[in-house]
Order: sequence, then C-alpha cells, then structure tokens
Amino acid sequence: MSYGSIIKVPFGPQHPALKEPGNFLFEVDGEIVVDVKPRIGYNHRGVEKAFELRTYIQNIYLAERICGICSDAHTTCYTQAIEELLGVEAPPRARYIRVIIAELERIHSHALWVGIAAHEIGFDTLFMYVWRDRETVLDMFEMISGNRIHYAMNTIGGVRRDIHADMVSKIKKGLDLLEKRLKYYLNVVQTEQTILKRAVGVGILKPKDAVDLCAVGPTLRASGIKNDVRVDDPYAAYDEIAFNVITHDGCDVLSRILVRCEEMLESIKIIRYGLDSMPEGIIRVQVPMKVPQGEVVSRVEAPRGELIHYAKSNGTTKPERYKVRSPTLGNIPALCKMLLGGYVADIPIVLAGIDPCFACMDRMAFVDVKKNKEWVWTMQQLRRKYAKK
Amino acid sequence: MEKENEIVEKLKDFLKEKLVRATVPKKRRIFIYIKKDALKDAMKYLVKDLKFKHLSTITGVDLGGEIEVIYHLAHEGSIVLSIRLTVSEKNPSIPTITDLIPGAVLYEREVHDLLGVNFEGHPDLSPLVLPEEWPQGVYPLRKEHELEHLREITSKKSKREERN
Amino acid sequence: MGLDYAAVEKEVCKKMTAETIVSMIRILVFPGALFLFTLAFFYEWVDRKFFARLQNRYGPLHTGPHGILQPIADFFKLLSKEDITPHASDKLVFILAPIFYFALPLTTLFVIPILSQTSLISFEGDLIFVIFAFTLIIITVFLAGWSSINRFSTIGSMRAAVQMLGYEIPMGLVMVGPAIAAGSLSISRIVEWQSLNFWLILLQPLGFAVFTVCLLAELQFVPFDIPEAETEIVAGWRTEFSGRKLALLRLGRDLELVLASALITSLYLGGSQQFWLIPPIVIFLVKTTFAVMLLSLLRAVFARFRIDQMLSGMWKYLLPLAALQIILIQLGLGG
Repeated sequence: MSYGSIIKVPFGPQHPALKEPGNFLFEVDGEIVVDVKPRIGYNHRGVEKAFELRTYIQNIYLAERICGICSDAHTTCYTQAIEELLGVEAPPRARYIRVIIAELERIHSHALWVGIAAHEIGFDTLFMYVWRDRETVLDMFEMISGNRIHYAMNTIGGVRRDIHADMVSKIKKGLDLLEKRLKYYLNVVQTEQTILKRAVGVGILKPKDAVDLCAVGPTLRASGIKNDVRVDDPYAAYDEIAFNVITHDGCDVLSRILVRCEEMLESIKIIRYGLDSMPEGIIRVQVPMKVPQGEVVSRVEAPRGELIHYAKSNGTTKPERYKVRSPTLGNIPALCKMLLGGYVADIPIVLAGIDPCFACMDRMAFVDVKKNKEWVWTMQQLRRKYAKK
Repeated sequence: MEKENEIVEKLKDFLKEKLVRATVPKKRRIFIYIKKDALKDAMKYLVKDLKFKHLSTITGVDLGGEIEVIYHLAHEGSIVLSIRLTVSEKNPSIPTITDLIPGAVLYEREVHDLLGVNFEGHPDLSPLVLPEEWPQGVYPLRKEHELEHLREITSKKSKREERN
Repeated sequence: MGLDYAAVEKEVCKKMTAETIVSMIRILVFPGALFLFTLAFFYEWVDRKFFARLQNRYGPLHTGPHGILQPIADFFKLLSKEDITPHASDKLVFILAPIFYFALPLTTLFVIPILSQTSLISFEGDLIFVIFAFTLIIITVFLAGWSSINRFSTIGSMRAAVQMLGYEIPMGLVMVGPAIAAGSLSISRIVEWQSLNFWLILLQPLGFAVFTVCLLAELQFVPFDIPEAETEIVAGWRTEFSGRKLALLRLGRDLELVLASALITSLYLGGSQQFWLIPPIVIFLVKTTFAVMLLSLLRAVFARFRIDQMLSGMWKYLLPLAALQIILIQLGLGG
C-alpha cells in the first residue's frame, strides 16, 4: 500500500516497542519502509573509560553491570581475559559451574525474548505464559547465588559460590518442568496460524548479507550459518561437552524464534550433563592484584551472540585499555537490512528479532556526571531533592 | 597451532617488509602489526583469499602521541586475527574498509567518535554514540582527557538543557 | 351537561406527567443510561478478570471484592486528571469526538430489548439503525485520530477506516440473516420470533461465527486491534487523548462491549426471554456475560494480524461465508 509520499516516522527513544532507549528514523512510503537510520547512545554510560579508572577487582562488578540480562556473559569474558593475562587457569569445577550458569542465563534470556516477541505481535497470552515459566530459572539463580539477575558468580581465578548436591536435585527438577513447557511452546510457535502469519517471510536476512554485515549469534544462525563461539572457540568447559549448534535456514523471524527455542532445549541438555559430570575440587584460586603487561582478546557466546572483549594491561592494578563489543552492536547493520522493504506493522517484531539490548550496546566512553552523583546520594538527599519539585 | 602459523607465513609472504611483527600467543589468536599504508592490501588479502570474513570489532587505543587501531577479524568463527597499525594523533587518517566488509560501518563510526580517527571514504561519519551538541575535537577515549574534564562538558550540557 | 373541562385537562396533564416521569426513569435510570453504565463497568471487569485468568494472571484485585470496582475507580481517576488539548489539533472535532464515541453506543442500546421482549424504543427497521450506528462509531474513531494531528494517531485512524472496509460488509450481510428468518427488521420482533421458535444460533451457526469475528474487529480486540496496536503505534488513534476525554473514550469502549454482547444475545441467543420463573432480565444478563467471555476468550488466543492480512482475510473468507449463510437461508435452511 503506497500513498506516493514519503513520511519520516521516528521510532524511539521512547516507544512501547523498545523497552530501552534507541532511536530509528524510518522513511516510510505508505506502509513500506524505504530507509532506516539508527541513532544509538542514549544509554551511554562511559563504561570503557570507567574500566581504565578502576582496579581489576572493581572491574568485575562493573562488567557485571554492563547489561542486566547477560551479566554473566560479560563477567565470564572479563575474568577469562584477565586470567589469561595473569597466566592462571580457573579450576575444573569452576569451569563447569561457569558453563551451568551461562546456560541457565541463556535459557532465561531466550525465554524473556520469546515473551517479548509474542508481545510485539500482540500475542500477550503467550508472553504471560513464557514469563511465568521463566521464573523457574530465576528461582534457580536465587537459590545458587542469592540474586535473580546479577548473580556475581565469576571472579578472577574461578567462581565465588559452589553448586551443592541438594541444589543439583532441585535444579534438575526445575529443568524437567522447563523442558516440558518449552516443548509445548515450540509446538505452539510452529502451529499457531496467527504467529506464522506474522513471522514467516518477515525480516528476511539472506546468508550472504548476514556474513557481509557481520551478524552474530542466533540472528546469524537463523540465516543458516553454523557459527557458535562455544564450538568454534571453546572456553570454560565447553570443549568437554558435546552439543548441537542449532541452525535454521528460513532467514526470517520464525527461524529466529525456532533457533532460540531449540537452543533453550539444547541448553537444558548441557546443564544436565554439566551437573552430572562436574569434577570435585576447589572453585577458585588466589590471584595477585597486579597484572603483568600484555594484551588479550577474549570471546564468549552470550545469549545474543558473539561477545568480544579486548584487554590491554600495563603492569599496574588498573587496565590500560578495555574494549567491549556486545552482540547487539554487531547486529545493527544486519537489522537495518532486514527492515528495508518491510511493512511498518512488522517493524516491532523485526526489531525485536535480533533481541536488541541497548544497555550493552551503548557502553562506551563518557561519564554522565548526573548519574554518578545520584549513585552516592543517600536516600534522604534524594527525598529532599524530589520533595522540592 | 599449525593453522595459525600457516596463516602468519602466508601473510609474511604477501606483505613482506610491510609486516612489522607477528605473534601467536595461544591457540586461535594471532596478532599482526603492519605499516599504515599496507592496510587496504592486507585487508583485501585477508578477506578475499584467507576467508577472514567476519569482523568482530575495531578497537582504538591511545598510545600517547599515536593512536593504535586494531581490527579483530575472525576466520570461520574460530581463529581471531587482530591486525593493527598506528596513526599519528595530529593527522589520524586511514582508508575505510567498509567497501570490503560492509559490517564495519558502525565500528568505524564508533572509533571516529571516541578517538577521532578519520576513516577516508566512509559514507557517513556523523556522531553515533555521542550527543549532537558534543564539542568538536573532544575525543573522550584519548588519554589527554581526564575524567574531570569530561564531567565538566557533560555538566555544562545538562545545565544548558535545564535552562531550555 | 356540567362537564368540567378544567378537571379533565388537569387529569390528562397528571397522567401525562406520570407517564413522562416513568419514561424518564426508564430512559435515565432503569433499564436506561444509569443501568447501562453499571453494566458497562461490570462487563469491563468481567472482560479484564476473565482475560487475566486465561493468561494466568490475577487481574483487578484490590478495589471492591475481587476488584469489581476497579473500572469505576479508573473512570473517576481519569476524570480528575489533567485534560490536554494539543495546540495543533482540530479543537472542535477533538472535543466532540469522545462525546460522540460515548453517546453512540449508549443510544443504540436503547433499541435492544433488555427488560422484556420489547425494547425502550422499538420500530420497524431498528436493525438498520444498529448497522448504521456501528459505521458512525468508526467514523468517530477516524475523526478522533485525524483531528489530533499526531503521526501515530493519523496512522491509527487510517487503519481504523481501512479496517472498517474489511468487516463492515460481511457484518451487515449476516445481520440480515436473523431478520429474514423472523420476517422483520425490528430486533424486538426477532427476539419474539426466537422465543416462539428456535434460537438462531442453532439455525444459523455460520452467521453467528462470522458475526462474532466481525464484532472482534469492531471492538478492536486482538487479533484485530490494528488501529491501536500498542507496540507499533503507541495507542493508535487514542494517543493524544487524556483526562476526561480518555475517560469518556473508555466508557464508550465499555458501552460498545455491552452493545456487542447484547447484539449477540438478541440476534442469536434468544435475547431476554422468560424461562420458568426466572425474569427475562436475569436471562439477558447471563447470556450477555457469556457473550463477553466468548469475546475475551477469542482475544486471548490469537496474535495480531497485519492490516493487509486482515483485509484480504475478510474479503477472501468472511464475505463468501456470510454470503453462503444468506443463500442457505434463501434455500430454506436456517430460516
């Protein structure tokens, strides 16, 4: 449906489809998108500069707070980079615990995404059901680490908390429930006609474009390309665990949903294997405060795709330069490609299709003085400030 | 490590004296130092012949007086090759690689924003992560900018917004 | 021959006043406006609660028993909120649209029999009036969105108008089905006919199905909430409305829900008829509550269509089905 005139439609920074601030300026001809201009940086907190100003220990907590959903992926990436610089290796049990936490996080992140995708196409019932079952994973996190989102499990030289035998049986029980539910949702997604109508053939990303535009993670795998850091560049204990890399070659939103759903089932298998074959032993080793000069590239398969950190140390207690590239930034060019030529009504689901995480994406360089102050304010000061207004 | 060494040998043959140094610190990691003018040729060779099709990201590092630009390329997702070169801080200008790897668009803009490296031939170098009214010539990730200085800029900005 | 003209006049006047008062009460209180408002709030609660339970949520919980007073609380809260009229908007239309949107379903409800088998206002052809009122409601929606000069509102109102093109014709067609069966264009007569014969849902199941789907579109429920698709165009045509205007829009929506369920009841489920000793009003309430729950159930189990998919679906499948129903009636089946 073309009306012959081009209207510019802004999408964000505040928009119900985007739970985080990002801006996309669409040029729309009738209901067809003809041009997209992304503008990011609304969540820019200066994390990279902040890394240079803090000690290695403090930076663990900073890395944890780059993102709220894949907090474990960032700390895994950070700690293994620093461990490599130090020349130490995490004990085997710690490496297994890292895998278990990472896979639990993948389930929780993908379940969150499936819910959001359902909400974007107006299927709120599925959204509510998936999120209800996601609680199972969050409860497991609470049991293991005491926290539902920021688990703070990783530290340089290992992990901070152990998974005890009584936890193992509880986790397994939860996994059985999850597996049943996930299989049901997989079936719903594949058979429900209104979902298929909105997802099949929408947001096409051809394999060649996906490679050229350097897409990562499930977005890339949904275009039929087998690429997974866990297999290609194994870290933690992934080299000892066998699992399948899920790919689908539909290149559309449905493939992205299926890839994520099946990855969750695969994650359950990995966790079960990990729980069974976790070696006994210590969970962390002591490491020195000072890190010798060097540089390292560290990669992790975060739920959204390849996460890469680059660290350069200068022999002191603080890093010289720390670079973070989160998967969402890598997927933005591919996203723009998917949106071109699509319908306005499909923008939310295509946008959600890459599972954007703007907090991860806008991490870099300047420090917002306002936010920094608010951090150290006491509750009373805050109350005073807002009472005046 | 055989494959990694093989790649390094191939690059040595191709770039000859323009390759300054090459190290293979561990499995699946290669660091290459090249001269500035060899970037385009090296990239073409890596992408077209050695199948380093995936660009993970571009890192900029301020070395004091010089800026180091590192391209992290991946070979079939597994071997990460970091190819690096240095440009002077006075005239930080290198050719773009967006014609070889279209996915580099945002990474180059990011490095331009934060370290002021000019990528010649890039289609659009407008600010990506910094706000529109950010002062010209202030590149936050350069070491010359202390945190206090950056805070001053942002506080000025927020005061201006409050007035409006 | 001492006829006291003055006394007769007085008598007539008295009678008339009494009649006027009775009819005023009937229109304003029961089963008129006040009763309908209460019903509207009650059905909003039924819809919200049932929808929430289907989604494994609790729904309204705190205001009144089981949150039954929540819709009323929402209404009064909105009345007390700041009412903003955008500078650029077409002010007259912008102010009038919510009033029309609320008044239209209310007026239309008067022709539907609630208390007994005859409605407050009944005339031959009131079914045509109902069809006409449905169209007017959508035109009001279009004007409301169009007058607020907002990108999202404009897109929303365009979508509402386009959507109307899709469901209007099948809905009009199937609504004629009961009329043919009863041999009258009056809703009261259709209800009367059903009490003497069968419920029309048994005779015209196809018509019932098509009518329900069209009502989902009319009410802008999922899968046809395209004009106000939250994740695409914020609140669609309602984006700019706030305060009292939004309160009226919400009440109008609730009245529309009452109208829709009352129509399903009257046209297909036998309307308000006496059953043993149970008064017709109770039967009517039970049937309409069932209709509301049917609509909530349908809106819980689908994802939203795209506007082009909705249009082509309506023309490709619903219209032929509606036509088929009419042909079947003409062949003597279902009438």
